[in-house]
Amino acid sequence: MGMQGDFFQLLKEQGYQFGNPVGGVAGIDVPNGTTILALKYRDGVLVAGDRRATAGNMVMYDRTDKVLEIDRHSVMAIAGVPATAYEMVRVLEHSFKYYRRTQLQELSFEGKLRAVSKLLKENVPAALAGTGAVVPVFAGYDHEQGAAKIYFYDILGAEFEAVEYAVSGSGSPTIRGILHYVNTWGPQPLATLPEEQATIQALRLLTSAAEFDSATGGVNRELNLYPVVKLITAAGVQTVAGDNLKRLYETEVVRGV
Amino acid sequence: MYEEPYRWVEAVGNRRQYLDEQFTKGAPVVALAYADGILMLTVSRGTPKLYEIYDRIALGGMGHPADLEKLRFSLLEMAHVEGFNRSPSDVTGARLMKYGLAPTIKQAFEEIYKAPFIVKILLAELGLKPERDMFLTINYDGTFEESRRWAALGATSAVQARMGRYLESQPGFSQAPLAQAVEIALCAWAVGSLAQISREASDGESSSMPASAEQPEGAGAVVPDKAVLLAHVRQIVTEKSLEGVLLERNGPGASKYRALRPDELDVLLPPAVNTPSPT
Repeated sequence: MGMQGDFFQLLKEQGYQFGNPVGGVAGIDVPNGTTILALKYRDGVLVAGDRRATAGNMVMYDRTDKVLEIDRHSVMAIAGVPATAYEMVRVLEHSFKYYRRTQLQELSFEGKLRAVSKLLKENVPAALAGTGAVVPVFAGYDHEQGAAKIYFYDILGAEFEAVEYAVSGSGSPTIRGILHYVNTWGPQPLATLPEEQATIQALRLLTSAAEFDSATGGVNRELNLYPVVKLITAAGVQTVAGDNLKRLYETEVVRGV
Repeated sequence: MYEEPYRWVEAVGNRRQYLDEQFTKGAPVVALAYADGILMLTVSRGTPKLYEIYDRIALGGMGHPADLEKLRFSLLEMAHVEGFNRSPSDVTGARLMKYGLAPTIKQAFEEIYKAPFIVKILLAELGLKPERDMFLTINYDGTFEESRRWAALGATSAVQARMGRYLESQPGFSQAPLAQAVEIALCAWAVGSLAQISREASDGESSSMPASAEQPEGAGAVVPDKAVLLAHVRQIVTEKSLEGVLLERNGPGASKYRALRPDELDVLLPPAVNTPSPT
């Protein structure tokens, strides 16, 4: 019954299946290259992702949005098989809405985290079969504790809280090292950066990832394509406008020629 | 004995009478389009009567809280499963009403061995454009109506009609800013509430008037002026609380529903209601 406000349970009762492994298709190239990152800055959490979708050495699409708003205070950045990841986001989005509307209160931040790991656990068979692995980063504002938080996961659904930053995707090894360096020996720790400085860091990091990882898309100025950057604060989720990214990229990322 | 057709008709008639009595003390609900969306307003004691159903759909109800809750859950379930399996834009008030509420309520009403739903429900749907805004109301027997610009729930159809006449007499309310819309909605609410009170009083004298006897409306049908209406509201809110929700066309995100906080309502209320703050 829906009296507990569990939308996923309701879907399952109606015959919905999530995370079933698909047999006999070994060897196909599922798109999964990407770079996503989340870092804590002065006012909350910044979440950013490149926009390329690849399958093997093919570029499938250059306008993917991998940083998805689940509700007004939480965002999931996805790395892995897009079909599964988008479906997860859809389930989560409806689950949170359904809970709020039936129970007449917001689902707690912890409840939201549980929902994410529950879906990942359901997805284990598909992840192990190689056709549905998703490694998301979940970030949101916890109103009870008055703090923005970042969590990352492995493909089996284990949940880890990130103290300062989290990265995922094929380009992440490159920027993980940079993040560590900048955060430890840079002019100031990431957590004290104001909004604009944090955005500049995100643009630089994603540009570095694109430099070394063919599956991560960089900035394409001719097509006016910039990464997706979202900021989560107590006021909610806000997307950094393309014009702002363009200005910051041109003044703070590109070296004068 | 209800197997005989005549008995069945009689039983349904009794049921109507029983149900009509259940609503005489209920609080009316008003919903109207205003400049930036839709406003729904009522007065409640304890349990809320206005709810969010989906991204652009709000519900207002009269009647028994347990019945309302049951139907609300079935609507939520239908809306969310539909919105997930198809798309949020396929969730419409008309479909929820025609395929969700109406058959359930009608069946419960006509199964005379079982308890009927003691509810009247109003669904307000915010269209993508103002001209697509839609209101639907359903009675306890499963009959429903569609309307544009406004809808109202009251103890009887005569009460609802009177509230409607008041709203129609307010020119251009659908372009009104929020504060003005709140005042108009409050007045329409008071028209309904006063009509219910006077009807109850007259019912005491001439017992059980048939429904058709409501039509000839004489001098009693004159709408009291605004001061009287607002004074009535002021008196009511000393013991009950005002409840208001919005569907905001320009609200952030996909969910356009927002409940007005008590402090927001205080600011929006006309001075005639607000001056002595009811604490």
